[in-house]
Amino acid sequence: MHDVAALKSGLSSPAPSLGRSRFVLDMRQSLPTWKQALFLGSSLAVGLAISLAILSVAGISPIQLAFELAGVFNTTSLRGVLFQAAPMMLVGLAASLAFRVGFWNLGLEGQMLLGGIFAEGVSIYEIGPPETRLVVMGIAAALGGALWCLLGGVLKMRFRVNEIIATLLLNYIAKYFLFHLLYGAWQDPNTAYPQSAPLRPFERLFDLGFGVNGALLTAIGAVAVAAWLVHLSRVGFYMRIISANPSMAKVLGVPIRAITLWIVVISGACAGLAGFVNVASQEGRLTDSYADGYLFSGVLIAFLSRNDPLVVAIVGFLVAVLFITGQTLQVFYQIPFTMVQLIEAIIVMSVASSEFFIRHRIRWLRQEAA
Amino acid sequence: MISFLTNWLADAPGTAVPYALGALGLIISERSGVLNLTAEGLMLVGALAGIGSYLELGGHPAVALVVAMISASVVSLLFAGLVVVLRVNQVIAGLSMVFFCQGLTGLVGTITHWQNKRIAGLTPMAIWPFSDIPVIGKIFFMQDAVVYLTVVIYVIVNWWLFSTMMGLRIRSVGESPAAADAAGISVSLHRVLAIVIGSSLIGLAGAYISVVGVKLWVTGMTGGRGWIAVALVVFARWAPWPALGGAFLFGCIEAVIPHIAAEGIRVPQYLVMMTPYLATIAVMIWVGATQNIGTSEPGALGQPHVREERR
Repeated sequence: MHDVAALKSGLSSPAPSLGRSRFVLDMRQSLPTWKQALFLGSSLAVGLAISLAILSVAGISPIQLAFELAGVFNTTSLRGVLFQAAPMMLVGLAASLAFRVGFWNLGLEGQMLLGGIFAEGVSIYEIGPPETRLVVMGIAAALGGALWCLLGGVLKMRFRVNEIIATLLLNYIAKYFLFHLLYGAWQDPNTAYPQSAPLRPFERLFDLGFGVNGALLTAIGAVAVAAWLVHLSRVGFYMRIISANPSMAKVLGVPIRAITLWIVVISGACAGLAGFVNVASQEGRLTDSYADGYLFSGVLIAFLSRNDPLVVAIVGFLVAVLFITGQTLQVFYQIPFTMVQLIEAIIVMSVASSEFFIRHRIRWLRQEAA
Repeated sequence: MISFLTNWLADAPGTAVPYALGALGLIISERSGVLNLTAEGLMLVGALAGIGSYLELGGHPAVALVVAMISASVVSLLFAGLVVVLRVNQVIAGLSMVFFCQGLTGLVGTITHWQNKRIAGLTPMAIWPFSDIPVIGKIFFMQDAVVYLTVVIYVIVNWWLFSTMMGLRIRSVGESPAAADAAGISVSLHRVLAIVIGSSLIGLAGAYISVVGVKLWVTGMTGGRGWIAVALVVFARWAPWPALGGAFLFGCIEAVIPHIAAEGIRVPQYLVMMTPYLATIAVMIWVGATQNIGTSEPGALGQPHVREERR
């Protein structure tokens, strides 16, 4: 007669009764915001704790780290952070816009490289008068990044190539193209390093003081445009339908292909601009490493900001702090810069794990053996 | 011309091994329904673990390769936990793993000072009398032990996946986890198993690059080979033997690069180094054009399984 009890318990939970106690996952219908924030916050805390532990093993005690972090916020370093925030926001925008239409743009570094190369090309071939040179460089950079990203988009839509693989491989191709230029025609004849000659003074992004510079203004402008696009424009509305339910979008007559392609182009343009601001402000010339470490930073920023352009600006700033701290640790403690990637990966993993606890409730199902 | 061809093709099996083993490891994991992008990272783990154990444990190549396999398996448990237990989006988890491994190997390689230390590694062995056959002998019978081992591994994995009960269970879990679950097969267990076993082969692929190929450790030395292996799985349509053929093709493409320079043909060096990536994209375009002809893509690839979820 135990079957009746089993049947009753079977009515309340969809799990079949196997006559042994076990964990069961219940799908939550909803969860209060504060509980979601609690899960998110605690998983983030776990991720940071693991990062701290790894840093201690590598020889950086939490006290030293706190000291270095505090050092980041003095005036000179803060300037560096604000410089760094610009490319971060731009790659974050590039990633989040593409992710919004379900396009895994993992070619951010390659698009940055193309952006930098196009901008440098404008400088080398002296296109346009000096007064408008910077503008032309910026437009060229956006164009370069957009074309490189569009290549991935066309490969996906026209040739059905998985964009994850396509965009990632395009990074390597762009890198070798950069090497081809920097060890060849574009190398500064005065050095043995793989770098171009310095940009002319009017080709450098201006600095208004207090760390506010042309790079940051470019990034903030891009954030504003992206926020308008996502939150206020019709395209943004379409993007939400496409990401929520592609087949529904198709039935409703949303121009999926056109919108996806345009977003791919805009995403690439943002990444291209990130390359431009790095070349025209931080580096002041084309170098071989100005895009290193930005791919996963972009993914991280998009992931943490849930693809919201306004949040991208804030998270981009925080990741810039992480970047600058990483550079400090590299210079003063010989910790390799890949440490930054390690911490970024741990943060993404821990935050992604919190989704599980937000979406499911784990229950211990007690059952008597028959 | 003949000597150019033999020299070139004699290098091809060696350059093909990382692709072959990496793709096979990925196929095992993806046949269980787990979309696996971790190869680039786990190859680095294998490469570093191989060099590290070679330097620290007295310089036995076999020990180095085994340690590399175990290390990659252990690290892959993290990936298994994320995608099988916590049902994290498999693309996000895979990408995070790659950058996690890049960061970790960069850090460990630096603080242990294993960076840039040249080792003796593994030398080719001739299989007499076949090695004395002109042309063919040099290409197929004067390779290192891992090249022969790779073929053996392919035979074993092929038998394991397609002729044993456990292979059937792993494939059923990848094809339809709900049906497999109803039949009493533990989806989670078999997926974890497939990830761990597959990852050991990816680790071996990485160790082959460092211990047998380059014979030293440099940060980020796999240079995109893991991603090419991911593409190779799609190219082979999740079947082992075509993956071996594809790996040999890519081995030929990569092996020709140094020989062009050695022949004194003047070509832009860095543009030539793009060829493996361009070839991968070309192959992917070909796959896209002929999609769904005889594909064995697992039905539930990339989908986490939650028994209680309503569908």
